[in-house]
Amino acid sequence: MKMRKFLLLPKVILVMMTFLALTTTLWAQNRISGTVTNSADKSPLAGVSVVVKGTTTGTSTDGSGNYNLSVPNNATLVFSFIGYGSKEISVGNQTRIDISLAESAEALNEVVVTALGIKKEAKKLGYATATINADALTENRTPNFINSLQGKIAGVNISGLGTGPAGTSKIRIRGQSSISGQNNPLIVVNGIPIDNTNFGTNPGNAAADNSIGVRGGGNTSDGGDGLSSINPDDIESMTVLKGATAAALYGSRAKDGVLMITTKTKGSGKGIGVSFNSNYTNETPLDFTDYQYEYGQGENGVRPTTPNPTSGQWSFGEKFQPGMTQVLFDNVTVPYEPVYNRIRKFFRNGSNFTNTVSLSSASDKGGFNLSFANMDSKGIVPNNTFNRKTINLGYSYELSKKLSFSGNINYSHEYNKNPPNIANQDNSIPTALYNLANSMPLDLLEAKKFNAAGNEFIYSRFQNRTNPYFTLSEQFQNIVRDRIFGNISVKYNLLPWLFVQGRVGQDYWSRDQDYNNFPTGQASIAAAPAGFVNGTYTQESRRFREINTDILISGTQKFGDFGFDFNVGGNKMYRRSDLNSVLVQDFVVRGLYTVMNGRVKDPIYGLSERAVNSVYGSAEFSYKNVLFVNATARNDWFSTLSPANRSILYPSVSGSFVFSQAFNSVPTWLTFGKLRAAYAEVGSDTDVSPYSNNLFYGINANLFGGQPVGGSSGTTTLPNANLRPMRTAETELGLELKLFDSRVSLDAAIYNKITNDQIVSAQISDASGFITTLINSGKSQNRGFEMLLNLVPVKTPNFQWDLTLNGSYNKTKVLSLLTDTPGERITVGTHVFNGELRQVVGQEMGQIYGFGFKRDASGQMMFGGNGIPLRTDDLISYGSALPKWNGGINNSFNYKGINLSFLVDFKLGNMMLSGTNFNAVRHGLHKMTLVGREGGVLGVGVNAKGETNTVKAPVQDYWSVVRSLALIEPVIYDGGFWKVRQITAGYDFTRFLPKNFPVKNLKLSAVANNVFLIKKWVDNIDPDSFGYSSDNLVGMESTGLPTTRSIGFNLNAKF
Amino acid sequence: MKRILKKSALLLPLWAVTVVGMVSCDQGFDELNINKTAALSVNPVFILNNATVNSAFTTGSVIYEMGIVQQMVSPNSGVLTGANFNQDSRDNTVQNWQKYYRNVIRNSQDVINQTQSVTTRSNLYNMARIIQANAYMILTDSYGDIPYADAEKGYTNQIFLPKYDTQQAVYAGIIKELTEATAALDATKAIESADVLYAGNIALWKKYGNSLLLRAGMRLSKVDAAQAQQVVAKALQSGVMESNADNAIIKHDANYVNGIGNMLNATEAANIYLAAPFVDYLKKTNDPRLKSIAVRYVGAKSGPEQVASRASTDPAVQIGMPLGFDNNTISAEVTKNKLASFYDFTQVDRTRMVKMTAPSFLITAAQTQLLLAEAAQRNWVTGTSAETYYNRGVRLHMEQMALFDANSAVAAADIDAYLKANPYVAATALEQINTQYWVASFLNGPEAFANFRRSGFPKLAPNPFPGKSIKGEFIKRLTYPNSEISANTVHVKEAIARQGADDLDTKVWWDK
Repeated sequence: MKMRKFLLLPKVILVMMTFLALTTTLWAQNRISGTVTNSADKSPLAGVSVVVKGTTTGTSTDGSGNYNLSVPNNATLVFSFIGYGSKEISVGNQTRIDISLAESAEALNEVVVTALGIKKEAKKLGYATATINADALTENRTPNFINSLQGKIAGVNISGLGTGPAGTSKIRIRGQSSISGQNNPLIVVNGIPIDNTNFGTNPGNAAADNSIGVRGGGNTSDGGDGLSSINPDDIESMTVLKGATAAALYGSRAKDGVLMITTKTKGSGKGIGVSFNSNYTNETPLDFTDYQYEYGQGENGVRPTTPNPTSGQWSFGEKFQPGMTQVLFDNVTVPYEPVYNRIRKFFRNGSNFTNTVSLSSASDKGGFNLSFANMDSKGIVPNNTFNRKTINLGYSYELSKKLSFSGNINYSHEYNKNPPNIANQDNSIPTALYNLANSMPLDLLEAKKFNAAGNEFIYSRFQNRTNPYFTLSEQFQNIVRDRIFGNISVKYNLLPWLFVQGRVGQDYWSRDQDYNNFPTGQASIAAAPAGFVNGTYTQESRRFREINTDILISGTQKFGDFGFDFNVGGNKMYRRSDLNSVLVQDFVVRGLYTVMNGRVKDPIYGLSERAVNSVYGSAEFSYKNVLFVNATARNDWFSTLSPANRSILYPSVSGSFVFSQAFNSVPTWLTFGKLRAAYAEVGSDTDVSPYSNNLFYGINANLFGGQPVGGSSGTTTLPNANLRPMRTAETELGLELKLFDSRVSLDAAIYNKITNDQIVSAQISDASGFITTLINSGKSQNRGFEMLLNLVPVKTPNFQWDLTLNGSYNKTKVLSLLTDTPGERITVGTHVFNGELRQVVGQEMGQIYGFGFKRDASGQMMFGGNGIPLRTDDLISYGSALPKWNGGINNSFNYKGINLSFLVDFKLGNMMLSGTNFNAVRHGLHKMTLVGREGGVLGVGVNAKGETNTVKAPVQDYWSVVRSLALIEPVIYDGGFWKVRQITAGYDFTRFLPKNFPVKNLKLSAVANNVFLIKKWVDNIDPDSFGYSSDNLVGMESTGLPTTRSIGFNLNAKF
Repeated sequence: MKRILKKSALLLPLWAVTVVGMVSCDQGFDELNINKTAALSVNPVFILNNATVNSAFTTGSVIYEMGIVQQMVSPNSGVLTGANFNQDSRDNTVQNWQKYYRNVIRNSQDVINQTQSVTTRSNLYNMARIIQANAYMILTDSYGDIPYADAEKGYTNQIFLPKYDTQQAVYAGIIKELTEATAALDATKAIESADVLYAGNIALWKKYGNSLLLRAGMRLSKVDAAQAQQVVAKALQSGVMESNADNAIIKHDANYVNGIGNMLNATEAANIYLAAPFVDYLKKTNDPRLKSIAVRYVGAKSGPEQVASRASTDPAVQIGMPLGFDNNTISAEVTKNKLASFYDFTQVDRTRMVKMTAPSFLITAAQTQLLLAEAAQRNWVTGTSAETYYNRGVRLHMEQMALFDANSAVAAADIDAYLKANPYVAATALEQINTQYWVASFLNGPEAFANFRRSGFPKLAPNPFPGKSIKGEFIKRLTYPNSEISANTVHVKEAIARQGADDLDTKVWWDK
């Protein structure tokens, strides 16, 4: 593809800007500055909006309450600030206006950043947004900053996945709507989207979830996502646009909401300001296992008594008796006794240490913010570390009275060393460790990780359960990512009420990754031919580029009581990713892991390109500043779809009515009241990969018998040239109330979202030639409500108690698939062991299916002639894996500068299939396997003839049915939980600092995260530790790393 | 206001740029959506190579088919649960289904679609039909009724959930395809020299097709002797495999390894053993092939102790693992045989016959000649005596040992001695022939299983494992994949209603 075409637009903008700059002298301009203070205590007010009336020209005050602005003749300035009464001042011939604002309960002109980076007064919005202040991200932080928001935003469900410090986090806004595809919100930094591709762990047929797997087996680590490149200290504010209306202007990728991040582009005070933030937390792994410790290692009731036993993953041995011994490895005799605390013994305490220094400045013309940050994370797996260095520069400048520009550039260097493998078998430390026989001494397991030949000492006949100490010492993985993203935006005020803005943003990263899938000597791989040693090694490098170019024309006019705002714009998005990868097997020189040293070489080159072009516009009408109606339209063209289907136009309309200000007589307790309503449509191609319109062929990298081997390019998905964009239509109603001088405030919304024409990856018969097909079909409905309630139960000069409750209920129903026949279903994902995830017409989305115990008409369990349970004829449903309730309760206490807050969060109403318990059952660790240890299990029920079952089944065979018969009923659980998520205690020392002390601001906080699990239903694990980022594997738990409790401090100083 | 309008006029170029820039909004998109690292077509012979190389047997066949015919066994459960415990483990029964439909049939059908109306590539078209017939035979022999007429039409006809055809209909199709394809192969037409099976050699392809036809014909001996006889005679008349140079072999290499060899050299190296009935039969008849096939790591107390210094290929020391035991109950047998542990039982030699690059034999001259021996014994074919066919078959298989590995070669004198000591006996010919066929089909699980069901030979004692989940004495078919039950429910249920329960007991049509 011609890149030139995509670079053309910036040039056009540049030319246009030059042309327009020449006309700047046409309008007379004055410069005005001043200070804004609080009328009560004369303290400066930062962040006050100063706008030329009837225009979008404006600024906001810095940390010292100063502002500086160019204004036309005869301008009137409007000063407004949240919680304060606004003031309008006619400039006349003044050059300095100092004013004070009074706290007011009536004026709540909060400004939020909306789509395309447009700032709007919150009261105008006809849809739900949530604004997060920077403290929530920085004070009590997590390595991937977004995880610290779990439980804080109504309607937003965030999960860390238990995959290590650099792991992916999963964000779902108002549930998931796509039946088998992506539900990730769009991440936007300063108005321009950035990439959030995730490299999460996805065995099974995770399909189109935008995650990227690894090659060659043996590696199931989580390689992280795009958000982890962001240093939270650079964030000024973050807004979540929840519904389709909010996102309508972002189009296709915003069907699942948008996270709008605004980074700092300016200091807060004259001269150079320096601030320093240091954050340290210590991570303690949490052990939730409650295994049986009555019977030890062994199989079929026999403990190991001869050398080289291979029952190291089975606890179906003998009952522990004092004085018993067992023989392990090469004739080592040790006591046959329980070994407790495997989790704490194996894993170390992790830590996170982040230091950020920022330099910033603000002047009459603009300012900048430059920050350097270093984050060092030590994972709980002893060889896992993650280091991130970021440099962020944000700047804004007024070149002339009419022309200004701003921009930001973010560079990050991330080194993720040995991200741990999880969930699968080979080299997955958690899988092997959680299933280790309960009498295996860990120090012996470590001492005997190698045999005499220096290879893995086989301790389990299940050789895929690699000795975790062997994995720790022999397997490595390095992931280094360099990333630059940023954008520059030029704004030109054509007229006092009209500006044009051009923006170019690019997100570019390169990612080098190498790993030895199977280290030399690992027991689960075959020996190499003579002259070689076995092993597999992969080296790959990826490059990714996304360029967004947009132009926006924005105007505002007022006619009497009526106001009119409009925006017209266009965007070109181009994305390309490249992959070079070489996998080699077997080596000449032992321990030399390079692709040159390999015997068998398998190279891959991959290239993917896509583009979306869009035009959009919005118009907003207001009446007396109490009634607002906003309409938008956007047309997208998708490169991935066929010419007939690639263009789609979709509209939105929303309105808000500030009834508290509309009438003359409102009760005094009603501080603020607003009703809002919105309807929006969004189209999307996000579930269609490039080139899925056709069957493409490739040639295998290696010849066979001297001849090429070809075939349709690795795809198991049947191509479909007739795909159309999917469409989401969402209706929402909202109510905002502030009562009793804002002591009570409520923001509530109900919504109904219909996602139609879904691009569904449906499982089809292998006999069709493919495993899945993409079809345009399927309709789902998300219905729910969300609410945020803020209470200030106590407010005295010295003490304030803030109580914030947020909660959301979401239910997603599948309305149709190929047809709307109830019961029709598709399988979207299969568990790595047994069981699957289905979408079923008429049922909630994300149904867990699997075989259960066969029961007769009276509900009695049925058993075979061998006493083993019979399984159901068909897979049966165990309910939805998607949480219906999600939320948090935060209590915050302020006493004379001491702040204490704690957050309790919950997710409820979801089922899970626990892979950890699946293994614990078949390996004899789960307490349920204590039944029948002596003499076999006598199943209570009937045989095939209807007679009472009298046949005892051997205990190991009986419990192994979870595997052998795929009978998963015993390991299905309610996946909900209640947790004390965060505790933060802080004290602001600023008032003790001497006047001339170089430090102007000093705050120290003690923080704790993931503190305590109040209630859960699943055995042996934290339901939060999950493994997979894919929605096609939601509820399909497979052993991840134990979750951690982090405790530490945050120090913030400004100079 | 006038001024505003005037200024607004200045915006016109801006509007123009916006509109022009965006109107041709999908310019270049068609080009962009073409995969630059893949092609819209490749020479179909390379796709046939894909089907061919994927025709090699699955690792699941070790766990089921080779276990059912009592050539290999594992005392361990879990992923190895299968014929050893007479249990249904769908992780393993699924393997033939997935491999043959997803790879062999899909790719061969692609070749058929691309070449059926291309007269210059008629040979390639007919080769693809033969490769496909081979795969369908394995599938229907495994499961009974399977998708056939509607299969592989996902892309061409949008049939995502194909209906199942009766095994009778599938066999009719296979026989028709093989008959037509072998007849249509024509040495005067373009030769497909890039073919990895026979380098496009028409004579060899004809023999391959006819030998498969013979196999298909013999399969019907129980259910429809008349048709069987007719098909067998037709196949013989058209020319079948007579020497080991005719064999259909996948010659695995470092990149395209033998899947079974890989399994038996890696995770399951110490978990799978030669079964006692197989070892005992070879021992009893002083069969020189035992030395070619077997190894015992004498005195090994564990998997890790199975090292070269303990390896013995001496036929005299070989002890096959008895059937019916798990890794606990086997200990009595270990003691009885004075072994160090169950790791001390005889295994197939993973450094020779099942090394990672050992060839896979899809169909051999030895098997073909033995089938002809039975046909001659039944008087279905004339001209050559059953004894001659039998002796040829046994000799060919013994000679075939060298093709696995030079160290497995059987000396000519040993072959002569064996045939002399174990002469053809007309009275027990069917047992003798089919027991030899059992040996000749070692490592070809699907064929050994099918012929055991058809002929009833060798005479094996049922696996005595306690708590089996089958009602009969032997497993009679494999079960359908969970994925079919889940996705193609209606059609799989039709097949079950027609054929019988989806379990290991239901007999397939030709086995009734």
